[in-house]
Amino acid sequence: MRKFLAVVKHEYKKVVLKWSFLIGTLLLPFLAACFAVVPALIFSLKGEPTRIVVADPTGKIEPRLKANLSAERMDARARKAAQKSLEDITPTQEEQMKRSTEQFAQGFHFIDYPTGGALTSGVRTELNAMLVNGEADAYLIVPEDINSEHASFEFRSRKAGDFVVNDAFKEALNDAVRSQRLADANISEARLEELSREVDFDAKGIDERGEERDSGGTFIASFIIGLMIYITLAIYGQAIMGAVVEEKETRIAEILFSSARPFELMMGKLVGVGLAGLTQLGIWVGSAAVIVSVIALQTDLSAIVGSLPAITPLMILYFLIFFLLGFFIYASIFALIGSMVTTVQEGGQFAFPPIMLMLIGFYFSFAVVRDPNSSLSFWVSIAPFFAPITMPVRILSETPPFWQIGLSFLVNAVAIAGLIWLAARVYRIGMLMYGKRATIPEVWKWIRQA
Amino acid sequence: MAEHNVTLRVREVSKRFGDFSAVEDLNFEVRAGRVFGFLGPNGAGKTTTIRMIVGITVPDEGSIELFGEKISPALQDRIGYLPEERGLYKKMKIADQLRYFAALKGVSSTDAEKKMDFWLDRMNLGEWKKKKTTDLSKGMQQKVQFISTVLHDPDLLILDEPFSGLDPLNVEFLMDVISEFKTNDKTIIFSTHLMETAEKLCNDILLINKSRKVVGGSLREVKESYGRNLIALRVSGGEQILADPSIISKRTEHADEIIVHLTNGTSAQSLLKQLVDNGAIVSKFEKVEASLNDIFIDKIRGSHESDELR
Repeated sequence: MRKFLAVVKHEYKKVVLKWSFLIGTLLLPFLAACFAVVPALIFSLKGEPTRIVVADPTGKIEPRLKANLSAERMDARARKAAQKSLEDITPTQEEQMKRSTEQFAQGFHFIDYPTGGALTSGVRTELNAMLVNGEADAYLIVPEDINSEHASFEFRSRKAGDFVVNDAFKEALNDAVRSQRLADANISEARLEELSREVDFDAKGIDERGEERDSGGTFIASFIIGLMIYITLAIYGQAIMGAVVEEKETRIAEILFSSARPFELMMGKLVGVGLAGLTQLGIWVGSAAVIVSVIALQTDLSAIVGSLPAITPLMILYFLIFFLLGFFIYASIFALIGSMVTTVQEGGQFAFPPIMLMLIGFYFSFAVVRDPNSSLSFWVSIAPFFAPITMPVRILSETPPFWQIGLSFLVNAVAIAGLIWLAARVYRIGMLMYGKRATIPEVWKWIRQA
Repeated sequence: MAEHNVTLRVREVSKRFGDFSAVEDLNFEVRAGRVFGFLGPNGAGKTTTIRMIVGITVPDEGSIELFGEKISPALQDRIGYLPEERGLYKKMKIADQLRYFAALKGVSSTDAEKKMDFWLDRMNLGEWKKKKTTDLSKGMQQKVQFISTVLHDPDLLILDEPFSGLDPLNVEFLMDVISEFKTNDKTIIFSTHLMETAEKLCNDILLINKSRKVVGGSLREVKESYGRNLIALRVSGGEQILADPSIISKRTEHADEIIVHLTNGTSAQSLLKQLVDNGAIVSKFEKVEASLNDIFIDKIRGSHESDELR
């Protein structure tokens, strides 16, 4: 037992006291924060206000347009967009981009251009000249009869690529023209707003106790949890393999085996590296909690936090347990591979199957998020190899009955026992075989004879 | 009491890998406080035998007793083993590695610290304590490996080719340390194919070849049993006597002398007489002892020849 603990301590320190651990531990939360903040920051950089000339022979559109593009109106629109993006959890990329940019639209500066009630052919030439000379950035020519079927609004801009401005402007113009048409038809704006109000689509999940819960951030949170477990499993699994191969390559194994039992050595390695992984996850979970609570304090963003699924301490405990299950499953596979091969590079090629298994588990977690109660979700959250990734996701999106969590735990614990038994047998012999990579039949022989 | 004077007892031990027999029916004892040379050509089964003694592998047949007990993991702590192919963690500080190896041998951390400082100073590696393996020269690494073998003050030291790759100064130094261990009543087994070193250090030897014991016993006994009838000659004439197989079983020409093996029943005295009677001029005539090297080559070659006859 003392030797086992010595191995655990050694392996733990070996991982945790490395720079890569420190950097990795700090970098991930930092990157996550960057992903959240940087795009918003970039889009919030306001450009120069667009200088626009409106040639309005009717004299009715321009004032309405000005009002629609006023700071207060823009702000109201931005708020609406922000709210919408939270409600809708699976927006397309394009929509998402549009919305986030709308929130930060730039201002407009109107240049007066008296038309005297009619459009002469010289107007267009004159306006074009203004654009070319840099006196204005864009112009709009309002047709004389806005109610005509063929009414066409000519918008010419030197910043044609600025879709943010174009979109905002187009919408404002649409509103302005519609209001004017309504006014012409004697329908009041207030009346129209009343009639065209959107339905209040109240989408919430119902959990197994029949309690309502917001499904808003579930998708994102589940995705993050699944990804986090997948990444840590892959990193620490391969760390195990590297450590095993190093001891084999440098022949340290020979000294180790003359000092302690191979099983102690292997288990010590698994537990030590596992604890290191747990430390890192702990730091991440802790820093996530801090970040979320800091955000929650800023009233502006509290809506985002509010839509996240409630993560209870029990859930965190489940995550850690399933992380450990996954770790021991994959770490024992990686230890087995490490003791079969002769170099780290060779191990890299053989790491493909377990990495593939993890990846499949990670992909299954999408199916689980979409329908946590389907029979597919049930089976993949019980099955060994996949459960360590899919079960936490399932617990987060909709906690299954306890017996299912227990069953999953049990099935995976049995799988671990079997894998460790196998790995220990291969490890014991493989670690002392130098020179060439073991073939599968050879490994099979070791397993049977040991 | 005789029981306690035997550190290691190997009885009828065999080890096979598939069809290949690595060790076949091996019997020997290593007495306490002696330096035991485990000799043999490459591939004779030395490393396999040593691995069984240190508990890395288990014999298929036979038994191994250490310190009067059947081998067990607990006894591993009393052995210091320096494998032939040895290594260190590349990117770890020397002190950390030594601490780890000591902990694996059950040494308490305060004890380990003291002994580590002692040995590092002795090996002139004191200032390298906090350096990584990759910063050390190969010779220094070997010294560190040796420290890891003795840090826990083992009762039995097993060194597999300890001198390979060491410069003469370090060989000398290591030999001093080995002698010191011996005076402290520890047992040392070392395997080598450097016969000169073995001859200088060993009290007892065991020569194995092709997984079997060839010859064993105290160095003196082995040499005497082998070299009683060996004579170094410098002579002119008497060729027909030296070529007579009834007198001389074997002759080896050296630069300025001939070493001859007398047949059983021929005495040195009678050879000299016959040479003189034949008019040969003898300028040197000396009874000599076979070197371990001669014995080694002779025995191994002998066993190869008997193989070919089969």
